[in-house]
Amino acid sequence: MPGVYLSFPFCAQKCTYCNFASGVFPRELEGRYHMALRQELEQAAWPWTPETVYLGGGTPSQIANEDLRELLTRIPGRPWAEATLEAAPGSFSREQVSAWREAGINRVSLGVQSFVEIELRKTGRKHTAEIVAADVALLREEGIPNINLDLIAGLAAQTPASWETSLDWIERLAPPHASVYMLEVDEDSRLGLEILNNGPKYGAQDIPDDDAIANMYERAVERLTAMGLPRYEVSNFGQPSLHNLKYWRLEEYLGFGADAHSNAAGQRWQNPETALAYVEQGPSRQQATPADPGSERFFVGLRLSEGIQPQPSEWTRWAEPIERFLADGLLERDGDRLRLSPRGVLLSNDVLQEFL
Amino acid sequence: MDPSHIRNFSIIAHIDHGKSTLADRLLEHTGALSQREMMEQVLDSMDLERERGITIKAHAVRLLHKSSKDGQIYQLNLIDTPGHVDFTYEVSRSLQACEGALLVVDASQGVEAQTLANTYLALGQNLEIIPVINKIDLPAADPERIREQIETLVGLDASEAVLCSAKQGIGIPEILEQIVARVPPPAGDPEAPLRALIFDSWFDPYKGVIILMRVVDGRMKLGQKIKLWSNGKIFEVEGLGYQSPKPIPNTELSAGEVGFVYANIKTISDALIGDTITDAATPAAEMLPGFEPIKPMVFAGLYSVESSEHGLLRDALEKLRLNDSAFNFEPENSVALGFGFRCGFLGLLHLEIVQERLEREFNIDLITTAPGVRYEITLRGGDVIEVDNPSRWPDPAAIEVINEPIIDATVITREEYIGDILALLEEKRGKQKKFDYIGGSRVLLGYELPLNEIVLDFYDRLKSASRGYASLDYHLAGHRASPMVKLDVLVAGEPVDALSIIVHRDVAFERGKALIERLRKLIPRQMFEVALQAAIGSKIIARETIAAIRKNVLAKCYGGDISRKRKLLEKQKEGKRRMKRVGRVEIPQEAFLAVLKVNQSSDDD
Repeated sequence: MPGVYLSFPFCAQKCTYCNFASGVFPRELEGRYHMALRQELEQAAWPWTPETVYLGGGTPSQIANEDLRELLTRIPGRPWAEATLEAAPGSFSREQVSAWREAGINRVSLGVQSFVEIELRKTGRKHTAEIVAADVALLREEGIPNINLDLIAGLAAQTPASWETSLDWIERLAPPHASVYMLEVDEDSRLGLEILNNGPKYGAQDIPDDDAIANMYERAVERLTAMGLPRYEVSNFGQPSLHNLKYWRLEEYLGFGADAHSNAAGQRWQNPETALAYVEQGPSRQQATPADPGSERFFVGLRLSEGIQPQPSEWTRWAEPIERFLADGLLERDGDRLRLSPRGVLLSNDVLQEFL
Repeated sequence: MDPSHIRNFSIIAHIDHGKSTLADRLLEHTGALSQREMMEQVLDSMDLERERGITIKAHAVRLLHKSSKDGQIYQLNLIDTPGHVDFTYEVSRSLQACEGALLVVDASQGVEAQTLANTYLALGQNLEIIPVINKIDLPAADPERIREQIETLVGLDASEAVLCSAKQGIGIPEILEQIVARVPPPAGDPEAPLRALIFDSWFDPYKGVIILMRVVDGRMKLGQKIKLWSNGKIFEVEGLGYQSPKPIPNTELSAGEVGFVYANIKTISDALIGDTITDAATPAAEMLPGFEPIKPMVFAGLYSVESSEHGLLRDALEKLRLNDSAFNFEPENSVALGFGFRCGFLGLLHLEIVQERLEREFNIDLITTAPGVRYEITLRGGDVIEVDNPSRWPDPAAIEVINEPIIDATVITREEYIGDILALLEEKRGKQKKFDYIGGSRVLLGYELPLNEIVLDFYDRLKSASRGYASLDYHLAGHRASPMVKLDVLVAGEPVDALSIIVHRDVAFERGKALIERLRKLIPRQMFEVALQAAIGSKIIARETIAAIRKNVLAKCYGGDISRKRKLLEKQKEGKRRMKRVGRVEIPQEAFLAVLKVNQSSDDD
């Protein structure tokens, strides 16, 4: 089931935890970006008819209705089995949602991150739990019940009690899908850099430690499962996203826009990373490299709860790490399938890096 | 040149008191270098020397100076020496090649311990000392106080001390005039059989060993057959000359002159510092005094992180040894670290230099085990053995008595730091010999200390106890019987031989506890719980636990970007690769040096 990814790296603000090439750029660049993106879509040679679409960001919910229509019109296959748009809570109106639906969007992913105000303020986000609740109601009323709510474990000022508050809200709003990410600390985000430098900004001194984050994650797994949202991937719960499953199952997708990635015809490639570079240089397929399914199946596919079905040659190639992790209880084998154990999920980097 | 117009001198100064800048100014003033050619610290040519502001190898530069007093041209040979306590022997040989020395003292800092030690060395060899008070342009300069200090401390008449600012070029002509007027001309006999003193040597891939030497008697000529006294080997002079500071070839060097010579000598150990060169056909009756074979004092194991780089490490050590006969190495085998080398060094700085050069010039990731000293152990049967490697420590039941090397240390510091420094010396098992006020609220301490206490964190501790205002000098002063024990570390139940250290029985418990507390912080959490234990023999004296890691997981695979994920995982994997796997535990390089810092308070990281 092939899919299409559209990247829209423009935001009203740059969140402290964000380590993507998204951000606040001049309006003028946004206009040029739309033109470039339309052009890239028009020039695409479609090897197949896409069945899923994913509009990620950035903040795609700030795209004007007309611009959104122009983009989606250029993608064959409407109505798609799944067409997701990422939205920032409190950033869209009833008219917009109805325009999304008309343009073919049938799933919305809300970047909630937290339902607790003090945590949200430290990340730079301006919404509240009530705004999220109103957005969810609005989406449902306008015919988009397929909603994802994102949470981040490991935000500044987060406590076991405040984490329960956020999980309570998920239970109350009962979306069919939720994502739980553990904060990534690296030099690509302002918060990450501040934590690494042991600085005072963005509540960096107030971040829960690794053990506390692990506890929060485990608590989320427990509660979401009880709500009928079982884990199907390290960070994803509930009714699986048809589009995202493709990444983990090594199926084909084409990415359009800045920093968009593609996997098709045995090749992987990516566009220039920043919006400016993309507008100026256009898409680049030159750096395509052959996909490496014998390795990718493991370090990507093992993130799925269903695990993977290694080829006979792969069992041999990776015999040593497989045996070691089975013995350590980080991997589990079920017939010809292999998957991470619950403990293995939390230590997945230690496992996955052995399959590179 | 007529010896009456030759002056050989060196410069004695504490680090940062301006020796290199002064040397540069002397070169510049005498026209040895045009201003355009001047680069900061011309004489310190090794990268390491420039960076650390220290001199590791000696140099000898010939300057021509026209005296303003008598209008005559004088040949001034500046012999630049290493200034660190590790290299005392080299310094003494360089001084032996001179008749005079500039004693350079910072006008605000005053005399430091190493300066003092080297000045005594120079006085002991009857050198004429010319005091120079440098950095008089600085606001904190107090030349009168320093003049007084030189007089009381060194016992020199400092009334004629040159007030100088090498940086500003003040006082340079006066220094040159004083050298001509006060340093005696060399006394050797040009007609006597050849005797030349080797004060440094290094290996050149094209010319073989290049020797820096002072011709004491006779002449050395191109094509001459020469003999090295200590080993009797004979070589033919293929080239000789002097540095100015570029090498200038010559056909002859005669009594009193300083220069370089090469004679197709293949190994540096044939040209030992302090040895005498004489004529092969008509040798001199006696060698020059003061020659001693160099003995390493500090020992450590060097291992490549990658076991596949073991061969590279051996080649690199061999190459370094071509240039440095003062360090030696032999293969050793560690259960924890695999194949490596036990190396002997003159001191800690020497160890650090070798370590840095291996990493920098040869690109080898190194693990260095804790430095230790060489013990003399009398066994119950009466046999005496020398042990410098904890893994060769004999069974305690077989030991009659252990003698550890002792040093005489001199520390000069300011009064206000004395409390902390005395406490440190006490903790390091020191015995006070001297406590003198030397004017200007400065104190000179004389202590007898076990060398073993110096090679663990002593320098760093002394620095922090005195905020950098303490200087240290020491020399070996024999051995003393001490109840030493071997302290072992067990990681996940396995003894890690590379972490063993030899400590005094009375501090073993405390050190063992501190060591594993530190290791607990340095060894990252693993996928399972790891027990750390310190033990003496079979007796566990301390225990710590590293809890198992709970989480190591990446959040997203955003927009199908698996390359980012791959990169992050590869980075993590690379980090692990740089650690040493002992049993099932990944131990980072720093952990093997944790032993060094066992006494530091545990809240410093």
